[in-house]
Amino acid sequence: MKRYDVIVVGSGPAGLSAAIEAAEKGLKVVVFDENSKPGGQLFKQIHKFFGSKEHRAKMRGFKIGEELLREAEKASVEVVLNAIVVGLFLDKEITVNINEEIVHYKGDAIIIATGASENMVAFDGWTLPGVIGAGAAQTMMNLHSVKPGNKVLMLGSGNVGVVVSYQLLQSGCQVAAIVDAASKIGGYGVHAAKVARCGVPFYLSHTIIKAEGDEYVTGVTIGEVDSRFQVIPGTEKYFDVDTICVAVGLSPMSQLLKMAGCDMEENPKKGGFVPLCDEYGETSISGIFAAGDVSGIEEASSAMIEGRISGAAAAYKLGFIDKEELEIKIEKLEKALSSLRQGMFGPGNKGKDIFRTEEGYDISINLLKKGYLTDEEVMKYPGVKFIKGIHPVIECSQNIPCNPCQDVCPQKCIKIGEKITSLPVVDEDSTCIGCGLCVASCSGQSIFLVNEDYEEEYTSVTLPYEFLPLPEKGTRGIALDRSGHRICETEVVEVKSPSAFDHTNLLTIKVPKEMGMKARFFKQQGVGI
Amino acid sequence: MNKVNDRSRDIGEFISQYDDNMIICRCEEITKGEIRKAVHDGMFTITEIRRYLRAGMGLCQGQTCSKLVKAIVAGELNISPARLESVMSRAPMRPIEMKILGNEGGR
Repeated sequence: MKRYDVIVVGSGPAGLSAAIEAAEKGLKVVVFDENSKPGGQLFKQIHKFFGSKEHRAKMRGFKIGEELLREAEKASVEVVLNAIVVGLFLDKEITVNINEEIVHYKGDAIIIATGASENMVAFDGWTLPGVIGAGAAQTMMNLHSVKPGNKVLMLGSGNVGVVVSYQLLQSGCQVAAIVDAASKIGGYGVHAAKVARCGVPFYLSHTIIKAEGDEYVTGVTIGEVDSRFQVIPGTEKYFDVDTICVAVGLSPMSQLLKMAGCDMEENPKKGGFVPLCDEYGETSISGIFAAGDVSGIEEASSAMIEGRISGAAAAYKLGFIDKEELEIKIEKLEKALSSLRQGMFGPGNKGKDIFRTEEGYDISINLLKKGYLTDEEVMKYPGVKFIKGIHPVIECSQNIPCNPCQDVCPQKCIKIGEKITSLPVVDEDSTCIGCGLCVASCSGQSIFLVNEDYEEEYTSVTLPYEFLPLPEKGTRGIALDRSGHRICETEVVEVKSPSAFDHTNLLTIKVPKEMGMKARFFKQQGVGI
Repeated sequence: MNKVNDRSRDIGEFISQYDDNMIICRCEEITKGEIRKAVHDGMFTITEIRRYLRAGMGLCQGQTCSKLVKAIVAGELNISPARLESVMSRAPMRPIEMKILGNEGGR
């Protein structure tokens, strides 16, 4: 039997972070993962992450994955792939299926970071080819460069649903609609707004009645539901699609912990069956830890911190660091974790209806129902001001933990303050130089540069653009408003894509004066998007 | 005995529903109707349903259908799904060929 100080199961954000933390303290660490590539879901995440600097905000998920792998290598973490942990037993022994063989390992500490699996929902025709999970769609697009379909209907408006819908658009698919049985959009408003301005309609309080087709999906019928989630007759709507993508939540993959005999609980707020853990992620069995989604569904940024906490706690437990070092470390990590858990989407607010921001601004009902702010609503928020010359317009209207815009502005035009969930405020007395760093750094793509004084009859609007082909200066097209409606013809007057923008290209378009506060997307002629 | 497992409790007659033919467990091809009937046959726990029908015992080991089966059983018993105990978890966690399971260190 082979022995290690720490055995980590799962090489996703939580597992790698735990392994790095422990290995950096001098522990001998091995990570097992059943997949052929490390990183868990990180390498499917091509969008920029939220948070602040310490959470690696505005970095794309797959780049965070690359960074973690480099750190793991530097810390001499051994990562074993295609290694399926099939058993976790008393005395912290595991059995692993490697190369047609069952191998026994023993660790003084074991950190389970097995993540989660996707939930499914059964409807007539749900077993037809063409009904896929959102994770499968991401795997096809972002790992294998395969389009999952041509016309897609997304079920689920949580962050996974809206983020994957946007990625489907980026890969060249049409997204016919985003459907959710809930009465409001579950994901961040800024994520919803990104797809709404591309013209994707939201159908809240709707569910799938039937996936049409004999051999594979040829269409889908949805219908409106009442307050008891029963379909209201006569509300059926048909969509001509070849793919139905399902993003209805995740369940912790906690079977190994149950097998070992850890105390467990059924906790709907954490997404299902989870171990009971202390503040270090240690389960009821001394030396067995759980970190990341397996101990409660959250997201990758908090999973990385949970991993770090468990790794440090394991190092203390095995005598590699003293109590003082542990406490200093944990205090810092807990602070970072709690700042991520603040705001209206934090775990403490799950399922609650919130009508006002922390600052007292009304939450847009339109944003929650249709995915975009109306022309009137947008004017109320502190990021939207009329200033002479070029200036940022920040259409950020919900308290989410994110502050890169404040950090990147060289002119200090944007203020969020200490609390990273606060809405960004544009300072009217500062002078914007139009550098565009805020536009490119906004993970929610909700910052635009507007210049009402661009030309006598024209306003310029600079917007983030992450589609191909990239238009050039002089490319003509149509300006779309926040709801994705065509509002006027327009022309690209500038394209900026320096490496500091990390593939978020900045298009500047010129539109008639009255369209300056409406135009929010550029549609190229002859291109799907 | 907890209330959920009380077989003397009257859960009413089995009444067929329009979507009883819908497959719930894809791996073992078990329908919603079969699961509902099993509850009326006296299978009140997920473990019993698994042994009786093999729902959740196939290739994916219930990864896809566990929550769906739980919701159907809970619906039939008229209780919250959270009150149904999860199934046993035992090695091997993933489907595995017998020759590999038996191959421990070349012995």
